[in-house]
Amino acid sequence: MRFRFCGDLDCPDWVLAEISTLARLSSVKMKLLCAQVLKDLLGEGIDFDKVTKLTADAKFESGDIKAGVAVLSFIFSSAAKYDVDSESLSSELQQLGLPKEHTTALCKSYEDKHSVLQDRLRATSLRLGRLEGVSWRVDYTLSSSELQEVNEPLIKLKLQCQGAMPGSTETKVFSISADKFRVLLAELKQAQAMMNALQ
Amino acid sequence: MATGDYVGFGVITVCSISIKCYNPYLCHRVVDGLCGQQPPTRADYSSTWTLEEWTELNNSLISLFRLAVYNNSSDEKVVAVLSSVGNSHTDAVLSVLRARREEIHTALLNRTNSISFATLQDFDWQLKLAISSDKMASLHIPLLSLGLSVKENGILRPVAMEMDREELNMLLGSLDAANKVEITLHLNCKQIFGITGNESITICGGTSA
Repeated sequence: MRFRFCGDLDCPDWVLAEISTLARLSSVKMKLLCAQVLKDLLGEGIDFDKVTKLTADAKFESGDIKAGVAVLSFIFSSAAKYDVDSESLSSELQQLGLPKEHTTALCKSYEDKHSVLQDRLRATSLRLGRLEGVSWRVDYTLSSSELQEVNEPLIKLKLQCQGAMPGSTETKVFSISADKFRVLLAELKQAQAMMNALQ
Repeated sequence: MATGDYVGFGVITVCSISIKCYNPYLCHRVVDGLCGQQPPTRADYSSTWTLEEWTELNNSLISLFRLAVYNNSSDEKVVAVLSSVGNSHTDAVLSVLRARREEIHTALLNRTNSISFATLQDFDWQLKLAISSDKMASLHIPLLSLGLSVKENGILRPVAMEMDREELNMLLGSLDAANKVEITLHLNCKQIFGITGNESITICGGTSA
């Protein structure tokens, strides 16, 4: 069988297997666990002490906790990835054997965070050399050893880009002659107009 | 090059001695070299000059053209200097200088701008629409790739970055602000400032994401 929240593919076996683990929780605890997993997915950090407490009633061992968090992470991120609405997700999860109350709790949490989660996934999609900061300076050169009377502006630019390593920043400083600067500006404006026309 | 004046024109005396057969083509080739193109090669003139003469002639011609443009000397001044060292080819040298003064000026301006440690040589851009990623099946985010060739210590280094709409707006906001300053500064400074010393006026700004 194919599921929309799995990108119109079969549901992975491990997800199928761990859905029964989730069913061991009460639906209230399930909702609270969903909130923790969503926090993690949104980059706000998961509170593992809370997760342990939530799952203590159901006598979850550490392996079960890991599996529960992993399966919820998968369901939320995959459903958001393929832009599945909460009703479809609900019917698909019930087909996979998740009890109705659990499904409702999960889908309610999903519905609330659906667009935030998608924004987050969009923002964390692979990007190379993201531009983080721009500084500039305009100099006016009066004279030089090459030319007695220069009287030309010279633009210095400092661009900070995201480096290859996470969290690292690469800084590039260079100067541009006035003519080249005007060409750069005109071409980037052209690109901006084209970019705006895309929407 | 030392800040030359015509006292420093001693070097071009060699020029007058060495030009056994004047060749306007040679002068043009020398200017080519000065402007970053192919300079004349020794092999082409090996029958006319010895290696030493060739080097001196080449250097003195380069100095002559550079100094004439450096000082923005009038034709008369160049003629005066050339004739004072007994050069009989003033008309020919002048014709090359007149024809290519603008070009040499641009080359010297480029050199001036290259005095800073890194300069932008070239750039290319590419507008892309990101369709899908491992995180989102349907992305549809327009991205602008900007590739810069920055010359640093004589070596070209590529700088690549990728911007979405907000980042491009940020960059253009900064560049626009710099451009405005540059335009007004250019107009005002031409009126206000004399041409003394190696001063520079600085205006700063910046934005961060």
